[in-house]
Amino acid sequence: TDDIETTTKPASAEDRKAAAALSNLDSSSAAENDTAQVDKAAATNALNSVSEKKAPVEAPAKSKVKVDAADVALLVDQLELTKARATELLKQHDGDAVKTIKAFLQPAF
Amino acid sequence: MDIRLLRPSDIPLIQHANLENLPENYFLKYYLYHALSWPQLSFVAVDVSRPPKTPYDYPKIVGYVLAKMEEEPTDGVQHGHITSLSVMRTHRRLGIAEKLMRQSQQAMVETFNARYVSLHVRVSNQAAIHLYRNTLKFETEKTEPKYYADGEDAFCMKLDLDFIREQIKEAEGAEEDEDSSKKKSSKK
Amino acid sequence: MPQILSTKEANLFRQVIRDYEEKRYRAGLKAAEQILKRNPKHGDTMSMKALIMNAQGKTEEAFNLAKEALKVDFKSHICWHVYGILYRTNKNFEEAIKAYKFALKLEPESQQIQRDLAILQVQTRDYEGYVQSRFAMLKARPQLRQNWTALAIAYHLEGNLQEAERILTTYEKSVSAAPARTDFENSEALLYKNSIIAEQGETERALEHLEQECKKCLDRLAVMELRARYLAELGRKEEAATAYRALIDRNPDHPDYYKRLVEVLGLTAEDEAAQKAIFDEYSTKYPRSDAARRLPLDFLTGNEFRSAAKAYLALMFNKGVPSTFANLKHLYFDSYKKDTLPSLAEEYLQELKDSNTQASSDSSKGEGAALFFLAQHYNYYMSRDLSKALEYVEKAIELDPKSVDFQMTKARIFKHQGDIAKAAKAMDQARLLDTKDRYINTKAAKYQLRNNENEKALNTLGLFTRAETVGGPLGDLIDMQAMWFLTEDGEAWQRRGNVALALKRYHTVFNIFDIWQEDQFDFHSFSLRKGQIRAYMDMIRWEDKLREHPFYFRAALDAVNLYLSMYDKPEGANRANGTKGDNANGEDAAEKKKAAKKAKKEAQKAEREAAERAAKQNPNKAQKDKEEDVKKKDDDPNGVKLAETKDPLGDAMKFLEPLLQFSPKNIEGQIAGFEVYIRRKKYVLAAKCLKAAQALDQDYPKVQEQSATMRKMIGDVIESLPPKVQEVLKAELA
Repeated sequence: TDDIETTTKPASAEDRKAAAALSNLDSSSAAENDTAQVDKAAATNALNSVSEKKAPVEAPAKSKVKVDAADVALLVDQLELTKARATELLKQHDGDAVKTIKAFLQPAF
Repeated sequence: MDIRLLRPSDIPLIQHANLENLPENYFLKYYLYHALSWPQLSFVAVDVSRPPKTPYDYPKIVGYVLAKMEEEPTDGVQHGHITSLSVMRTHRRLGIAEKLMRQSQQAMVETFNARYVSLHVRVSNQAAIHLYRNTLKFETEKTEPKYYADGEDAFCMKLDLDFIREQIKEAEGAEEDEDSSKKKSSKK
Repeated sequence: MPQILSTKEANLFRQVIRDYEEKRYRAGLKAAEQILKRNPKHGDTMSMKALIMNAQGKTEEAFNLAKEALKVDFKSHICWHVYGILYRTNKNFEEAIKAYKFALKLEPESQQIQRDLAILQVQTRDYEGYVQSRFAMLKARPQLRQNWTALAIAYHLEGNLQEAERILTTYEKSVSAAPARTDFENSEALLYKNSIIAEQGETERALEHLEQECKKCLDRLAVMELRARYLAELGRKEEAATAYRALIDRNPDHPDYYKRLVEVLGLTAEDEAAQKAIFDEYSTKYPRSDAARRLPLDFLTGNEFRSAAKAYLALMFNKGVPSTFANLKHLYFDSYKKDTLPSLAEEYLQELKDSNTQASSDSSKGEGAALFFLAQHYNYYMSRDLSKALEYVEKAIELDPKSVDFQMTKARIFKHQGDIAKAAKAMDQARLLDTKDRYINTKAAKYQLRNNENEKALNTLGLFTRAETVGGPLGDLIDMQAMWFLTEDGEAWQRRGNVALALKRYHTVFNIFDIWQEDQFDFHSFSLRKGQIRAYMDMIRWEDKLREHPFYFRAALDAVNLYLSMYDKPEGANRANGTKGDNANGEDAAEKKKAAKKAKKEAQKAEREAAERAAKQNPNKAQKDKEEDVKKKDDDPNGVKLAETKDPLGDAMKFLEPLLQFSPKNIEGQIAGFEVYIRRKKYVLAAKCLKAAQALDQDYPKVQEQSATMRKMIGDVIESLPPKVQEVLKAELA
């Protein structure tokens, strides 16, 4: 039929095998069939014993550090960082831009 | 030279070795597919005597066997298949191909309960045919006409792996004997 | 308000979805049109139509339509989901995640959306988000083992090993029936758990777990290796030795096992004889093991080394093993060994002569092999004497004029003599000795590229590439991700002054790395299905640092340096279109103009040829195939647009950033980084590169040059910099 449009026909048996294998990879449906491997009740029970973890709380001391917007802008411009990253780095160095840039300059290995 | 299991990080240089040596080439993803589906079955030969030039050098691959299990065997029998096997011409005569194959065959039986292993080989590839037939004892099943992209025929070859199964059974038997004799002696 | 479909149209809508999933795009579009004819404002249908158009490569139209759909039905999870998929297929993962999250808010029960979101989160390494998603998925389907394993993986990736282990254990406890011995998923999950215990540093517990729970695991090699490692780490030396001996029996060609065995036996470097005895034991037991014979050459000294090396060389020469030199050259760091090995080869030749044995019928064995060894010895940079090398290789060739190996070494010697053209010719002669072998074909093409013969090299390679690929040999090499070729070809074009084609090749390498990164995508769900968790984790760790690979480094550094030269000499940048720069003197400019013209002609010729080849190879390609190929067509196949850039430094950044991030210890990258940043007047970043380079090698000539440049530059501009930057630079560069 003229419906099969995107797949260019693989040239040899070898290619056909490779193509088949790769197109098989993202066939998601196979994953979802419910082969009840475990009794649902038991599993649900077990689930109740593992509590949902909240996102790890950031070190509270750090988040309280005041960061000057001008310093963030300076870092974004001079070090080509994202705003978020610049803020994070400043916080790690008590909001001190000079300290932050100095630390940034040191080889990371 | 070092014979060891294939790791995902080896793949760029396996692909490179394949491109250098063979006309049948694959995307990196196809190697990944092997490495992530049957990580026990593929092995590499590595040139360990090259001093690295940078801290980021990857070990040079001088030979590899890329192997898989047949996912839907037409005969219903669990069996392995050799997708690609290659050894650099600069590293021949050390038995690398044979060693790679033997490691892979062992794992096919142990991990996936394979009954036999199959492969295709160009009918003109004398050296490879010699290795499979004479050294590894493969048998030619049939000829597949025009199997390769350039129109060449392939021999379809097969090796029964029962001998490995026997070896494993023997070894396990010996181990259990040992265990039980140990228990007996400790009881005394 | 969303429009409600009639039963017939609702069925038709389901058909659209099926058509899309099974890639019957034409039928799908037709059905969608049918629905839209009567319900022109049906958002879900509009979205599905957009999805199909996107699959057909009509990205822009697809986005427009998807946006329209959202306008008419803002509260449809399908519209948001499709919007996310469009972003995802166009690699804007951040926006895709946002859209998925919105869709999920509207339809919290949708497994499909949750799954798509989770995969994107792990792909973008948002582990915190991944944990949340996997938790939700586990809640929805706790009876599926995969979901437990997946949550454990999420915790593991997040660095929360304890939680990962706890999840696996909780699942195990909820299973009542013992899994079958052949249950592969179970076997693998046990080993995965074992690796998590070990990663927490609890070796004792890991060993206990391994011996109690994993004894019957199907991955025998892993169990044996882990057990040996744990025993060694715990200092249970005798048992560890037994375990390593069992591993050697399994694979006597893995040097690491011998090394560990020697370690757990408590032998030190001084115990040469005792160490040697172990290797002798194994070389007797496994006569075909190379490791058992060769490894002692690493630690033996003096006469012990001499006699072991003599025996080893004789064995290798008699067998005619071509890699003998390659397998021993690492010993050359020891000058005694460097002198002894060639003299042993000479001795071998002399003894052959004295004994007057019949020459082997295979001339690559015996005398030929020893001559070959000596030729390589004198060709090696640590022991180089090229006229001697040539002498030996000629003797070897005389013995066997048909030997590819010998002829190949001759070409290499010419290369070291600096005669690239002669080397390329010689390598091509080697190729002609065995035209069925792709290895020598590759080498010949590589040497042609080194000799700037791009077209010839492509013809050579074309003897092995697949004839039917669109775009001929070049198309096939790009398709098959032949990094070595793209880089060498780019470098050759660069030497020839063809900036456009050089840039094109480097960008192609860059794009292939993007593909390699994208390649992991399918495995986030596939590996769970297969149950091969440890291999999956290995892949994730490797993909995390994918671009540290020398394949990336070399092409990226080439690109950065090329962009630098384009910035410094703008007329060079315009070579592809032949315009003239303004800062060159007359004669130079004329010269450059000529070169530019030539390069332009070459590029046009290459384009023409590519088109011809493509046309030739697909004479009866159906019209519709051509239509489909449109979406893949490269709108700048010869890099002309790349070469026309107005911002070479900005373009260089794309290549530079991964260099500095993933290979910071490679001094060449830091040096290139300095050059880019100093031109972009980013002085802190330049200083960072310089400091890194200094830390790596203070005496590197370019480093000292750059220090001087930096001091001068800073002196000139320091007053114009922000005060805080001034303060740092003054302190750091004083």
